[in-house]
Amino acid sequence: MDDIDPVGLAVPFFILAIVLELLLGRLGWVRARYEPKDTFTSLAMGLGSSVAGLATAGAIFAASLWVYQHRLFDIPMTAVWAWVLIFLLEDKTYYWFHRLSHERRFWWASHINHHTSQHYNLSTALRQTWTGGVAGTWLLWLPLSLIGFPPAMVAIQKGVSLVYQFWIHTEAIGKMPRWFEAVFNTPSHHRVHHARNPRYLDRNYAGILIIWDRMFGTFQVELETEPCRYGVVKNLATFNPLRVAFHEWTAMGRDLLKARSLRDFALYVIGPPGWSHDGSRETSRQIRARWAAAQGKESVSPEAKAETAPTPAAHSNSPA
Amino acid sequence: MLDRAFSPGDRGWGEESAVDKAFLIQFTGSMAAVAVLVGLAAWARIGRPSPGLDEARARDLLAEDFPDWRVDQLWIAREGRGALARSGACALVLIQVGDGYAARRLSWCQASSAMFRNGLLDIRLDEMAAPRAVLAFDNWPPKDLAA
Repeated sequence: MDDIDPVGLAVPFFILAIVLELLLGRLGWVRARYEPKDTFTSLAMGLGSSVAGLATAGAIFAASLWVYQHRLFDIPMTAVWAWVLIFLLEDKTYYWFHRLSHERRFWWASHINHHTSQHYNLSTALRQTWTGGVAGTWLLWLPLSLIGFPPAMVAIQKGVSLVYQFWIHTEAIGKMPRWFEAVFNTPSHHRVHHARNPRYLDRNYAGILIIWDRMFGTFQVELETEPCRYGVVKNLATFNPLRVAFHEWTAMGRDLLKARSLRDFALYVIGPPGWSHDGSRETSRQIRARWAAAQGKESVSPEAKAETAPTPAAHSNSPA
Repeated sequence: MLDRAFSPGDRGWGEESAVDKAFLIQFTGSMAAVAVLVGLAAWARIGRPSPGLDEARARDLLAEDFPDWRVDQLWIAREGRGALARSGACALVLIQVGDGYAARRLSWCQASSAMFRNGLLDIRLDEMAAPRAVLAFDNWPPKDLAA
């Protein structure tokens, strides 16, 4: 069982599913938009991520083993209850990893790659980070080994989560049955997560279970009246995978050179993405607040507002 | 997916070579799969419809990225492949990226003094995620530029 690799086993399925989505989209049977250069970038990022992972995989595995040697309990890999427990604990860990990856710049610099496509299709799921190992978010999973889950069990459950999250990167599926939408992460919930509309920013961090977002106040339902616009707040003007992989790290480095104090320095690293010492940029929270204030000013309900055309530029000249 | 190469225990030279070979085969196969899928995406022609920008569409896109900024003047690039707007002392630029757009703000001085050659305005944005904006105009600076 130690050798099971859900992601490796699923690769042929990933390829076939993308081919199917492309063909059904071509036939007009489902909604699927593919732009060749964008598809290339997504797939190249996926391939590069696998190669980059080799650089840190040994250290991560060794760290997991070391922690496991100091475990608190002996949890058998053969017990059903142990798999139920690791499913829940791993999924909750994923929620916090994902939230951290969006709300703190150091980890956003690694995760942003996944959000840089202006499209949302199955190839987008493979647009993975090249710098996750360096960013160190894998540390968040070590407590599971400290509790006593064998590292192989943790790795398998992480793989299951990644495989689950592949199929939700699609516009081909509208909404799942109501009970499913209530409990599980779905294409609809995850479209919201990939959208750059102010209402949808920093929402729906779930891996498999959407219940964590509902519990921790980050859930947002997809509104028919407000179609998702995909990408990041400042979309990229390049398809070059190297630029996609490293642009936020570079931007962070340049910001650090402008830091005037230790506080600036710290906030450029672990502050929210978009923070700047001179207020010349906006964080997601500020964008949402400005958007909400504009909605209030116009005294229109969000749903009604979403039915109207995009907001025309106001006659002011404040920094964006 | 390549993490399987890392399992506890020492490996002999033969095993290392086998892993290297397996990796090469897997990597080559993956590159071939990427090429096939990108080819299929090109064949399918199911990108977002992008008829080119007109003034209304350009204003809508600028309003998405710069909701509180007024647009004093707007110039649409040839065939609607991008746009440049003046907003006070700033320039707002729309760059076509595949079938989508990216928007950036820069100083008007930087935009107005950008190199214009062979009908192309080449604005250096000095950003890794958006190195430059190249817009096709008949002339630059535009004749209708307000003082």
